[in-house]
Amino acid sequence: MAEVKILTEFYHLPEYQTLAGYKAKGGYETLPKALKMQPQQIIDEVKASGLRGRGGAGFPTGMKWGFLPKNGEPRYLLCNADEGEPGTFKDRMMMERAPHQLIEGMIISAFAIGSNKGYIYVRGEYVYPIECLYKAIKEAYAAGLLGKNILGSGFDFDLDVYRGAGAYICGEETGMISSLEGLKGQPKLKPPFPAVQGYLRKPTIVNNVETLAAVTYIIKDGAQTYRKHGTEKSAGTKLFSVSGNVMKPGNYEVPLGYPLMDLIMKECGGMKPGRRLKAIIPGGSSAPVLTAEEVAKANLDYESLAGLGTMLGSGAVIVMDDSQCMVDMLGVLTHFYAHESCGQCTPCREGTGWLDKILHSILEGRGRLQDIDLLIKVADNMKGKTICALSDAAALPVLSFVTKFRDEFEFYVREGRSKVKGTTYAEMHH
Amino acid sequence: MPKCTINGKEVEVKEGTSIIEAMQQSGDRIAHYCWHPGLSVAGVCRLCMVEIEGNPRVQIACNTMVTEGMKINNTSEKVRDAVKWGLDFHLINHPLDCPICDQAGECGLQDQYMEYGKYDPEMAEHKQKKHKVVDLGPTVVLDSERCILCSRCVRFTEEVSKTNELGLFNRGDRTEIGTHDGMPLDNKYSLNTVDICPVGALTSKDFRFRQRVWYLKDAETICNGCSTGCNVKVYYNKEGFFRVKPVYNEKVNGYWMCDEGRDIYKFVNREHRLLKAQVRNASGWTEMTAGAAAKNASEVLKNTSGDSLALVLTAQYTVEEFDAIVSTFVNEFKTKKVFFWINNKETFDSFDGLLLRGDKNPNTKGLLKVLEKHGITATWADLSQGIASGSIKTVVVAGPENQVVFPDFAERVKELSKAHNLIWLQAGKNDALMALAGNVWLIPTKTFVEKDGTFINQAGLEQKFKKVTTVVSEALTLTEAALLLAGKNLAIPTTAQPFMPTNQRADQVELEARKKNEFVFRRGSL
Repeated sequence: MAEVKILTEFYHLPEYQTLAGYKAKGGYETLPKALKMQPQQIIDEVKASGLRGRGGAGFPTGMKWGFLPKNGEPRYLLCNADEGEPGTFKDRMMMERAPHQLIEGMIISAFAIGSNKGYIYVRGEYVYPIECLYKAIKEAYAAGLLGKNILGSGFDFDLDVYRGAGAYICGEETGMISSLEGLKGQPKLKPPFPAVQGYLRKPTIVNNVETLAAVTYIIKDGAQTYRKHGTEKSAGTKLFSVSGNVMKPGNYEVPLGYPLMDLIMKECGGMKPGRRLKAIIPGGSSAPVLTAEEVAKANLDYESLAGLGTMLGSGAVIVMDDSQCMVDMLGVLTHFYAHESCGQCTPCREGTGWLDKILHSILEGRGRLQDIDLLIKVADNMKGKTICALSDAAALPVLSFVTKFRDEFEFYVREGRSKVKGTTYAEMHH
Repeated sequence: MPKCTINGKEVEVKEGTSIIEAMQQSGDRIAHYCWHPGLSVAGVCRLCMVEIEGNPRVQIACNTMVTEGMKINNTSEKVRDAVKWGLDFHLINHPLDCPICDQAGECGLQDQYMEYGKYDPEMAEHKQKKHKVVDLGPTVVLDSERCILCSRCVRFTEEVSKTNELGLFNRGDRTEIGTHDGMPLDNKYSLNTVDICPVGALTSKDFRFRQRVWYLKDAETICNGCSTGCNVKVYYNKEGFFRVKPVYNEKVNGYWMCDEGRDIYKFVNREHRLLKAQVRNASGWTEMTAGAAAKNASEVLKNTSGDSLALVLTAQYTVEEFDAIVSTFVNEFKTKKVFFWINNKETFDSFDGLLLRGDKNPNTKGLLKVLEKHGITATWADLSQGIASGSIKTVVVAGPENQVVFPDFAERVKELSKAHNLIWLQAGKNDALMALAGNVWLIPTKTFVEKDGTFINQAGLEQKFKKVTTVVSEALTLTEAALLLAGKNLAIPTTAQPFMPTNQRADQVELEARKKNEFVFRRGSL
């Protein structure tokens, strides 16, 4: 098994960014076919494909679409391109290299769910991807692929890009809706779920960039063709953004179920010379870390990783070699979550800050041995106690790092310096 | 009507009832800060945790609806542990200086600590420092470090006052409540944010640090600030009255009251009151007890009945008082020259859509009902004409308790003082009255907190209220004044305070002149 390029086949071609280049490779050929289908047929096809949301939660896409009310009420399609999880950069590539692929997927998806208005919510820092999207949307409007009566089908669909102000939590679907509504980016209580009451209190579907792009291929070649890739419960291919101590970090498209070790050793060229694999965070910084021994058993699909107590998440694989201090690494992650907590739910608002302070006490040589257990207690009590999953995202790395690499934490507390690097925090960072 | 089981008891609730509402209905205690029955559900304090049978995780009760057969528990170890940790999260950045906090004694966080938090704290890190004494606007001060970000105040300005001054700023544990740029918290209902603040973060500039709450008594009554008739609680002690807060009444004011209404405690206090009757004749002013002055005035009235006598009423007294004094004038003095002094004709019928009404009297409907009952049809023009022509020689006025809402006070005094004899029943001091020459009787009356009675609000709702306490012992009700003016005697035992009512409650406190603590008062004024 090796890379299978369904989504990324033409990403190396600069002209694939443009309408002409995209069309030259068969782009927008699926759209007329889709517009002749019944919307329910498209939904059924997506259901049959087994496509699961590629943003992190892995919820079945067709099932999510099926939650929309049948009453014909106006509804919205939101493309989640916020991509704020540390380690994740797959959607950026798709928006830069193949913006029309996303647009075609959105038009088909909007037709299926009966939406006439869509937004691509992009994190504000993604200046270049936003420019690419603007250009592509302009081209699509000029070619009659967006707007009124698309390709004479009678279907109208307008698409806009919305630049977020750069908050991690705006990648959470209800936080994104709040932000799009002009409010502070804070998640909303569920129920009601966005499919019933979302943007402007209307039914709303929020899907990730990669999910929407995959819809085109499912409609083009059929669900069964798509299902040939991946596993029974995790169908299709998936983009993995690999970062950290590997020879060739980058985005890789592989079928779900692909061995994690193969991704590192074969696709990414293995570890840097003289270095050993120490640990991997397989699905973005919120996923529990795997030790090298666990990595050897891990396949890149939802079930295999869940079986190892972690998750596929957004597919951001962060690789750490034996030079990495896990206390320092956790300090970085925890600081990120403390900074990004929206401040709404008390366990998350106060818990993320508390974890950050405890870790920095340890890193700065002021730690107490009981702080290690306190980290676990605090994280344990943040889990599952808040409106959204940011609290869990902050807690899970703490629990896994401290449990699996406890000796490093104990050493740090006792000695006031890193077991791995032999230096203090100040020496490490200055 | 779904039935559920809460802590082993079966409870039947209305469709669409949340677990927290069901628990309130069943009388089960449940921790909560952000939930408020008058506001939308935020679900952010995460304290109202319950265990639902069949669900592995604890849930918040405020955003979970009761369904048929649901088995709910909030006394298990799992829930207690979740609440204990929830409390810990609230406390890690909250100052633990309860003795100097304005909310001490009525703080939700203190209550929760006593219930769940008696354990050794584990927080060894420095607290997150936030802003102190933030001036949010003309009425409210924020001590941000105490704020637990329940967002009740923000939701209030979004959903109730609809003024949107407040917001949540910054992220994580740096989050703070604040006002949007250039937009102070300045609306007619701003002090409700102080009422609903579960901790001592939002404080009223008027009340802040003036009294410790455990030195205050409270009693329910009806606001007399306007014709809405909000149900309120007044807080007082021997030094006087200190604040007014709303009491829930679905039919009248819901959970709220306006800021104007909160000032009604001020005119009740001794420093604003007419403590003794003042009687003026050719030889000048003489001080008397209220009863003696009324008796003295009755000598004049005895010889001035019929159309030469007029009664002017403000709609600030009780139905019972209006009935007593109008009956006396109609039956004893044989006059139907009874006039309704309307204080602000131009804005009388205005309404802000929430609670505030232009009619700044608590009992206009009550007065009109009594006047109608006695067939009174006289208009103010009749009075003006009568005084101008000299046909009306004596005028008895039941002046307003709350003078602030009578902008035409001085003008009316001037007009009415043209009568030969002016007998003015009034609770508060007034310079315009004291400046009068001629025959004038100023007789102190009781305020709404010093008597039982009934107000009829703008919607026609009769609301009875009970006496709270006595502020000016010898002040009279209109009922008592009417009897004395008619030359009758009151069946009140004569003691050192001859007009002390006999129906005092066992816990009655006698108000004394305030002993000012200047240091405390300076703090209180920012």
